[in-house]
Amino acid sequence: MKLEVINLKKSFGDKEVLHGISFSIESGKALGLLGRNGAGKTTTIRILMDVFHANEGSILVDGKPFRTKDFRIGYLPEERGLYPKKGVLEQLMYLAQLRGSSRADAKEQSMRWLKRLEVDEYAQRKLETLSKGNQQKVQLAQTLVCNPDLVILDEPFSGLDPVNSQILKDVIREQIQDGKLVIFSSHQMSYVEEFCEDIVLINHGDVVLSGDLAEIKREYGRNRLVIGLGTEFEEPQMTLEDCLGSMIRVVGRRKEKVIVELKDGCTREQLLAGLLETRLIPEDFGNYEPSLTEIFVEKAGDQA
Amino acid sequence: MRQFLTVLKFELNNYFKNKSFLLTTIVLMILAVGIIAVPGVIMNMDRGESGNSAVSGSVSAGEEADGDDSEESPVFFALWDKNGSIVDTGAFAASMGMNVEWISCTDADQVEKAVNSGEAEAGFIVEDLLHYTYVVENNSMYDMNQEAFSQAAAVTYRAQILTDQGIDPVQIETLYQTQPAVETQILGKDSAGNYAYTYMLIMVLYFLLIFYGQMIATSVTSEKSNRAIEILVTSVDSNSLIFGKVLAGAIAGLIQCALILGSAVGAYQIFGESWGGLLDNVFDIPIPVWAAFAVFGIMGYLLYAFCFGMLGALVSKTEDISKAATPITMIYLVSFFIAIFGMTDSDGILMKVASFIPFTSSNGMLIRISMGSVEIWEIIISGVLLAATCAVTGFLAAKIFRFGTLMYGNPIKFTTALKKIREK
Repeated sequence: MKLEVINLKKSFGDKEVLHGISFSIESGKALGLLGRNGAGKTTTIRILMDVFHANEGSILVDGKPFRTKDFRIGYLPEERGLYPKKGVLEQLMYLAQLRGSSRADAKEQSMRWLKRLEVDEYAQRKLETLSKGNQQKVQLAQTLVCNPDLVILDEPFSGLDPVNSQILKDVIREQIQDGKLVIFSSHQMSYVEEFCEDIVLINHGDVVLSGDLAEIKREYGRNRLVIGLGTEFEEPQMTLEDCLGSMIRVVGRRKEKVIVELKDGCTREQLLAGLLETRLIPEDFGNYEPSLTEIFVEKAGDQA
Repeated sequence: MRQFLTVLKFELNNYFKNKSFLLTTIVLMILAVGIIAVPGVIMNMDRGESGNSAVSGSVSAGEEADGDDSEESPVFFALWDKNGSIVDTGAFAASMGMNVEWISCTDADQVEKAVNSGEAEAGFIVEDLLHYTYVVENNSMYDMNQEAFSQAAAVTYRAQILTDQGIDPVQIETLYQTQPAVETQILGKDSAGNYAYTYMLIMVLYFLLIFYGQMIATSVTSEKSNRAIEILVTSVDSNSLIFGKVLAGAIAGLIQCALILGSAVGAYQIFGESWGGLLDNVFDIPIPVWAAFAVFGIMGYLLYAFCFGMLGALVSKTEDISKAATPITMIYLVSFFIAIFGMTDSDGILMKVASFIPFTSSNGMLIRISMGSVEIWEIIISGVLLAATCAVTGFLAAKIFRFGTLMYGNPIKFTTALKKIREK
């Protein structure tokens, strides 16, 4: 199954919040939907879920228009909420039945997921009596209880301790391995890096970066190097710019090391020779492999 | 349809598992049975007591004639009969219908002292049978002494005059109490007889709407406030959701009503004799009136319930519901008062107009069918209008519900919501 989002535009009143979002994803893969607060991630997800209608654009599945009622969709919204005064199992069964499960199947699946997420002992308890973390796990159970084809997770790790985060990680991996199509929105970049082959970075309603994450990282590190001059240099960036400004451009820091980009026509060998000529013997000299956080900050930060 | 039934079942369960719903139903059932049973229980107790009295044989014949008053402790009245107008104080007391102990006084001061000291409950300074002064410490709203004294004075005065004329006052009194035997043959409807059950059905509708309208609005708003709504609207279409909620409220309300009224009717079957047929008019409801209640009452209820559901979706906090629901509550109150006033003239122009306007026809047509004269075509037109308005309001409610569900924060104006829906 291939889901394609093509040129989505959405306005609220006179303000256009999505200016043409496009991306695609296939079954068995996870897509990381990234962006700062207010960038347009949740609006995009809500359009996918048919909560809002797009002003323009289309959503296709295998080339045909996507209709939510034709698929089983597991949705974990950013605005968490269930019935606090209802029993855990009762409301899970209700939501599973609303999404097409039979009563028997709803009960079986509800219990399976409660057990898998280690909260089955609370099946008969009212939701409000559970801790925040366990409530979060019940929320995840409601997402998966209908055996969805498409799983949309908006900030799934918020409120989970490390142990519960690990359980959730395992569950998401299983979903991906089972060939589910997973859309994953989070501010916690480490999780996105763990699960997602592809990312879409939205900033102010535009896609500013999209594609294969490993490829993006490679692309970002291609002309960049990490140079460590040692602790005796208090301002290593300034030193490098002063001495080798004609060959490199300083693009950032990683602790005491400096991230530099080679200027057009300059090679690593020339840079090394330049360092030796200026008697700057680097303690560290290597390829730069950017983290997703660094890419995110560069593309969606205030300087972007 | 399957989703609708799932929502309906879930919402009905919510009502039936709600402790306050169960408690209210049980308390009202007990109250209904209690109210119906009270006169019978009292009668049985009285019978038991009078039986015991007869066995003991301690009551004199004279006392027995006074019936229950013989058991009453006497009331003390101070009396200064200036001119001796009251010849037989015992007979006078009997005319007052009270067990009176007279404290005879010789001047006004003595009367006032007796009243002030609490020795006498009140005092009477009698010039003659047609002129007297009533002396009392604090005049209560419920004080019947003066009225009883006046009545006794008038009876005594009439008896004296009649006796002076050589006529037997007892004979005259009997003549005055003679009533013609009447048999009413009603060719149309007995509005007077139908008033009781019509009034009861209007009140049942009123309570259903006020109680369940708020509950439906609260149910919608609480799903917004606990943020369950986003999961719901992405799992089920909004028509199934709002129709399921409203119909669950309707069914729960009708079941509650049936249980309470059923208890009352059941109790009346057992204790009806003690009411002497007084409530026959309340419980003996003809089938056409039940049918009118089922069609117009329930459709009217659904119409308002949809409005309440719609308004519930426009606010995010349950504390804002009563403010948001005020306009629709006011509209219903207007409909209710038109119905209450219209019951005195069920064929008047007010009721005729009200029976065609969907927001008032639930009460209006019910009253006309029950108490007035109405043509079949009028019933059909009114019914179709109400059903159409009900359906349109239902679908509009679903649209507003869908629009309002993710609009958190301040309450949204109804007109704003309509405008936004039209823009879509």
